[in-house]
Amino acid sequence: MAATNDEEILEGFLCPICKADLKSASQLTSHFESLHQEEQDVLKSLKEIFGKAKKIILNNDDTDLKETFDRALKFSYQESYYLNEEQTVGVCRSTTDYLKAVRGARLERYATETNKLLIRLDKLVCNMPTEPNQRKLHEQEVVPWLDGSSVKLCPNCAKAFNLTRRKHHCRLCGSILCHDCSLFLDIDIARAVVDPSAPHASNQPEQEITEKNGLRLCEHCFNLIELRKQVQDTRNAKTVLMTAYEQMRSLMDQARPAVAMYEKMCQSLFDGETTYNLTDVNAMRGRIGKLAEGIDLLSKQIATFPTDPGTRQARLQNSIRQAAAHYIKEDLLSLRKLPTEAQIEEVRRQRYERAERQIKMERERMEKQRDRMEELAGPSVSRVNNDDDDDNPLLEQMNIIRGYIKEARKELKFEEVAILEANLKELKKEYQLQKLSSKS
Amino acid sequence: MNVIQAVKLYITKMTEESGPGMKVILMDKDTTSIVSMVFSQSEILQKEVYLFERIDSHSKWDNMKHMKCIVFLRPTSENISLLCRELRYPKYGVYFIYFSNVISKADIKTLAECDEQETVREVQEVFADYLAVDRHLFSFNIAGCLHGRSWNQHHLQRCAQGILALLLSVKRRAVVRYEAASEPCARLAERVRDLLRREAVLIDNNIPFNGEIPTPQLLIIDRRDDPVTPLLSQWTYQAMVHELLTINNNRVSLAHLPEVHKDFKEVVLSSEQDEFYAKNLYSNFGEIGQTMKSLMDEFQKKAKSHQKVESIADMKHFVEQYPLFKKMSGTVTKHVTVVGELSACVTRHNLLEVSELEQEIACQSDHSKHLQRLKNLLSNAAVRHHDAAKLVGLYALRYEKHASNALPSLIEALKNRGVSEQLIKSVINLLEYGGAHARQSDLFGLQDAVKITKRLFKGLNGVENIYTQHTPLLKDTLEDLIKGKLRENLYPTMGGDDGAYGRRPQDIFVFIVGGATYEEALCVHQINQTYSGVRIVLGGTTVHNSTSFFEEVKAAMQGVHRTHTRHIRNV
Ligand SMILES: [Zn+2]
Ligand SMILES: [Zn+2]
Ligand SMILES: [Zn+2]
Repeated sequence: MAATNDEEILEGFLCPICKADLKSASQLTSHFESLHQEEQDVLKSLKEIFGKAKKIILNNDDTDLKETFDRALKFSYQESYYLNEEQTVGVCRSTTDYLKAVRGARLERYATETNKLLIRLDKLVCNMPTEPNQRKLHEQEVVPWLDGSSVKLCPNCAKAFNLTRRKHHCRLCGSILCHDCSLFLDIDIARAVVDPSAPHASNQPEQEITEKNGLRLCEHCFNLIELRKQVQDTRNAKTVLMTAYEQMRSLMDQARPAVAMYEKMCQSLFDGETTYNLTDVNAMRGRIGKLAEGIDLLSKQIATFPTDPGTRQARLQNSIRQAAAHYIKEDLLSLRKLPTEAQIEEVRRQRYERAERQIKMERERMEKQRDRMEELAGPSVSRVNNDDDDDNPLLEQMNIIRGYIKEARKELKFEEVAILEANLKELKKEYQLQKLSSKS
Repeated sequence: MNVIQAVKLYITKMTEESGPGMKVILMDKDTTSIVSMVFSQSEILQKEVYLFERIDSHSKWDNMKHMKCIVFLRPTSENISLLCRELRYPKYGVYFIYFSNVISKADIKTLAECDEQETVREVQEVFADYLAVDRHLFSFNIAGCLHGRSWNQHHLQRCAQGILALLLSVKRRAVVRYEAASEPCARLAERVRDLLRREAVLIDNNIPFNGEIPTPQLLIIDRRDDPVTPLLSQWTYQAMVHELLTINNNRVSLAHLPEVHKDFKEVVLSSEQDEFYAKNLYSNFGEIGQTMKSLMDEFQKKAKSHQKVESIADMKHFVEQYPLFKKMSGTVTKHVTVVGELSACVTRHNLLEVSELEQEIACQSDHSKHLQRLKNLLSNAAVRHHDAAKLVGLYALRYEKHASNALPSLIEALKNRGVSEQLIKSVINLLEYGGAHARQSDLFGLQDAVKITKRLFKGLNGVENIYTQHTPLLKDTLEDLIKGKLRENLYPTMGGDDGAYGRRPQDIFVFIVGGATYEEALCVHQINQTYSGVRIVLGGTTVHNSTSFFEEVKAAMQGVHRTHTRHIRNV
């Protein structure tokens, strides 16, 4: 944009709107105020410029220590305009149903296949003869083996069969494969897979699984069974870690309402109420302490379960401990201090005195009013309320506002009129209430 | 319209939907930043999220089936394939997947096909797709969004998606307006409009049309219209820290300081997690120093009466007596370190003097005086080369068309004081980037009678604070918009003006292509407080300080031939 990069010098106090020269700052301000009301913001900034004292950045005032302290700590940051809005979680869109539809259609195939294999596996391991030849017969009875006479190469690794590379069969699908391509499924594990309720075979330490104690399977069948086993494992695995963790969480769930209750009881004591006594609140405090100890103990236990350092599992256990320690420190150990018996006494005494005073004042007021009523009751009963009202501050206030309204009307400031009228109405209502209460 | 709250609500929702149990959150680089802007690690730990993993890390497979996995990713094709790999060999028991933006059906299908173990429980789009810097400030952390004056396509897409997400996250419809003179603004406005159209059903279903209040407005403007604001030294806490120490995702590195305590090598400055910071981020530097000193004195006084804090019992006791201490002591020490460094910078580099001249050049009009003082400062060895270049840049912009413009001699002066060629080139780049030819607004108030007079008054009556005279151009733009006076020919509405023009909007989103600044964030904060009912959220491709702004300008001017500075022959 071609700026008329001016440097033209403007002298004097020109009105920014009509460019009249007003000779002085104050004249300009008043001119502005009366003639250009719509430019309120400009006016405001003019006033600011004229009105404010110079303030510099390096503030050397020695403000009272205590005051600064309080001011710095008081959290007045939540300005009004943010509180106006109750914010709810933003827009979300779920595509879970679509995913499940696609996945379901696809997995159905696998599921039928896995089921077929499981039925076969069940038949295989149930009553399996130990004698090798009988076992072979049993296996072929359950799953017929493919005729391999025309197969020259292992279908999996494509190496030729010969004297050293002999043909074998997968016990679950009956397909042909070489020894190198075979995988062996531990028969004990196989039993566990088909009957998860059966007692788990004691894990033999690192025993190699061979033809003897295992089932020869092709990779495909092995994977399907392995997957099935994993799903079962996850379902059944309730490890020590899980148990300890759940216990810890349950203690935390108990601690939360306990702390809230404690705060409530404590506040009640400080307010001088008699709902709870010190012993109650102390007992509550003790209970929270117990819960904190329990959480502390369990989380320490979790942190020391044996794992290899640096693994995810180790990091998990550390994090749980860290979170628990933080929770104990922030939520359970930072409880408010209880008042002493003496403090409580003092608060209650003050509260009682306050109430006393209030009752006394009320009584005096009522009596005064009755006296007045009686005084006035003589000559002019009908005008009782009007005479004693001349000095009522509410009336005075109302008159002032009426004056404002008149002025605002004259200047056609109707928005102002509306606000003032509303105020006047409020005052009238208040005044009538006052009259009613003084009558009774 | 609190953007921090919006992101927090999404993340809380994610941690809650998966139910009780040990959780891990699996994220990418971007979503890690998004989350870390609004939650501290200890806050997330309290939500039973114990592990933070990156989808692109190549750590070894572990069986962690006892954990629930919350996946939070941007919907990029790279992330989809990484997630497929994860689902094929799942480490965790179940997966709750959240994408930070719209994801295609094809991608869901790909995921479904990989989920042979049926570990996925949820797939959702949540729209936490921006960095929530403050409650009214967001950024995409894109440095150098333009290349050769036009969008890097990848960045354009990122911004459009992010703005769509912003609107959805605070549940607002919006008409899109943009700076007419800026090509990049027009491109972004179009892209946002297209995305809004594509998601019309989602918007209609979730954000009911409210005829009672004026439609919120999204205003897209160009940094090139105000290249001055990012150049000025700052005196409010947040802005000053960013200018002198650089804030990156709410983190400030102090590792370069000698003798810095190991806890403060990197400090987190977040108004959500740090009350002192929240309270003081807009305070000026002097006030903060004072507050801090008082706090320290107070604490030391108290600490003296309770020296013995060794056992847990002692600690408990101490904390019971001074719950405030527990809250504040850590943060106060941190701020003491930061403020100490700022203060050292100010003295070391004559920043008060530099700032005073910057403000005067930006806000007043006195060529010969400014030139003289500028020359003096250039010969002052304590002034950093960076500040020297900044000052010359400001001068170049302010007096670009002045009859006695002395830019060549100032450049000579920069050369003489040993300023790098790179930095000198920045001055020229700046002029090409944001000179008079590139601006549609009256940045220096040279044409507007009101502004001219205002400036005159300032000169006559003195100013409130010589270091904070400047108000960003954004203030005028926003006030015009609030009053329904922002001109339709300069800031047209996408799809034509449907009567929205002239209606005073209450909810406003303003996005600066080329980056926003903390000074502008402060300005928006003040407007929000001044105009009741008005809520403005400011965003930028990034949040600049002067250093990053020079980089931005450099990227934007890459490969562009000099057309407006050819007469300056000594560069
Ligand atoms: Zn006038
Ligand atoms: Zn097989
Ligand atoms: Zn083979």
